[in-house]
Amino acid sequence: MTLDDLTRTSGEWLRGTGPESDIVMCSRIRLARNLADFPFTGRASRSEKAEIESHFTSCIAAAGLDLTYFEVNSLSPLDRQFLVERQVISRELSGGEGPRGVALSPQEKIAIMVNEEDHLRIQYMLSGFRLHEVWEEINQLDDRLEEHLAYAYSPSLGYLTACPTNVGTGIRVGVMLHLPGLVQTKQIDKVFRALQKINLAVRGLYGEGSQAFGDFYQISNQQTLGKSEPELIRILIDVVPQVLQYERSARQALVNERRQHLHDQVSRAYGVLKTAQTISSEETMLLLSSVRMGINLGLIDDLSIATVNELFIQTQPAFLQKIRGAELGVEERAVARASYLRSRLSNGRMASEP
Amino acid sequence: MICQRCPSEAVIHLTEQSDGQRREIHLCLACARKAGLRLPENPPKLPLDEVLQSLIVAHVGELVGELAERSCPVCGIRFMEFRTGGRLGCPQDYQVFGAGLSPLLLRMHGATRHVGKAVARWNPAALQRLQLRSQLREAIAREDYELAARLRDQLRFKDNDA
Repeated sequence: MTLDDLTRTSGEWLRGTGPESDIVMCSRIRLARNLADFPFTGRASRSEKAEIESHFTSCIAAAGLDLTYFEVNSLSPLDRQFLVERQVISRELSGGEGPRGVALSPQEKIAIMVNEEDHLRIQYMLSGFRLHEVWEEINQLDDRLEEHLAYAYSPSLGYLTACPTNVGTGIRVGVMLHLPGLVQTKQIDKVFRALQKINLAVRGLYGEGSQAFGDFYQISNQQTLGKSEPELIRILIDVVPQVLQYERSARQALVNERRQHLHDQVSRAYGVLKTAQTISSEETMLLLSSVRMGINLGLIDDLSIATVNELFIQTQPAFLQKIRGAELGVEERAVARASYLRSRLSNGRMASEP
Repeated sequence: MICQRCPSEAVIHLTEQSDGQRREIHLCLACARKAGLRLPENPPKLPLDEVLQSLIVAHVGELVGELAERSCPVCGIRFMEFRTGGRLGCPQDYQVFGAGLSPLLLRMHGATRHVGKAVARWNPAALQRLQLRSQLREAIAREDYELAARLRDQLRFKDNDA
C-alpha cells in the first residue's frame, strides 16, 4: 500500500453504514501506550525515538499484523497534510520532529501513530455507532501488540502516559456526529453545555481545538482514570442516543415549520455544488452539510451518503493536490475543487472503486 | 496546511476581513517574513492547553520547598518543568512526583486509582533498562564513550534477556 493508493480508496469510516449512520459518521477509540523502558517521546533523544520506532515495526512483523508503516520524515509536507485530512495522523505528529510515523491497515480502520505525545497512539475507527465492536477490535489489537512490547504500567495508576490527563486506561472513546439540525435551530450550545457538565469533551472534525466545520462534532470522554474501559464506553452509549434524539427532533421541527425553506436550501446547496466553477473549502463544507441532511430527510434521492461523506475529506487541499499531482495555490484549488465536485456529483457514484 | 506561496508547512494563519470580505492567509515562517509580517524572533512554543495549565497551578498550588526542587533521577525532569510544560518525562515520574500529582489526578479524573485493563505481563527489568538508558544519555553528553559502550552492551544483553 502506498499513499497514492489511498487517493483511490476511502476509509471504512466514511462508508455511511452501521447503526445511526445518518447522524453518527463514525465511532472511534484510541489507546495511549508507552514502552516501559524509554523516556516519553518529548524527552527521548533522536536515537531513542529511532529505537522505539524499530521496536514497533519489528513488533508488527512478529505479530503478523497487516499494517503498512509510513515514516513521517520521508513524506512531503503535502503527504503529511493528506494523512491529517484523512484523520489517521494528528497535526502534532505531522509537525513533530525526529523519527516518527504511522502504521495503517487496509481501509484505514487501524492507525497507530508512533512517537506522538505518547510512544503509541492506537486508533480504531468504524462507520456508524458501533463502539462495542470498536472496543473488541482495539482491545484484541492491543493484546497482540503487548505480546511483543513491554508497556509502561503501574498496578495503581494503570497505563502511564506523558500527560496525566490520559493516565489509567489511556482510552479516548469518541463518536463523530453530524448535527446540522441542532446548529440551525440554535440549540447546539445548550447540548454542548449539558455534555460538558457530565465531563464529555466536544471538538470539531479535526480534533483538539479545531473549529467544527460541516456541522460535524466529536464527542468523547475526558476521564481516563478510576473507571474501566467498558464503563467509559457505556457513558457514551447511554448519552449519544439522547443527542441523536435531539438532532432528529430539531430536523423534524425544521421540516414541519419551514419545509419549503429547507427544501429550497438543500436544493440550492446541491445545485451550487454540481455547477460551481470555483468554490472555497469553507463554502463546500457548508453546502455538503445541507446536502447530507437533505439526503437523510429524503429531499435528495440520487446521491449516496457515502459519496457525500467522502467529499468532506476529498475536497480538502492536500487531497485535491494529490489527485492533480501538483502543488496548487488557493485559487487553483478552488477551481480544482469545483471541477472535482462536478465530476463526482454528475453521476452520484464513487469516483473509483478499489 | 501548506503555505500558500511555497510547498512548506504553513505555521502562520491569518484571517483578514475587509469590505465584508473574509480572506484566509496561511504562510510558512520564511514567506511570512518575506511578506513583511512582523513576527517575534522565536515564535512562542504552542502553549499547553490553558485549562490544563490552570488546573496544574490551582491544584498543585504555589510550589514551596522540596517538591519544587525535586527532579526525577531517571529522566532528569524537574517538577517545575512539568508544571509549566504539562508533560512528564518518563514513566518513573508518576512515582517520583506522586505527592504533587495526586491532587491533580483527583481533580482531572475524580479518582486516583486505576480500574480497568491490566497488562498481561509485568516486566520488572524495564525500570532497570530505563535507568541504564538515562546513564547512557549522560555518558554521551559527557563524551565518556568508553562508559557509553559498556552501557550499550548491558542494554543489548538485557534486550536479549527480555
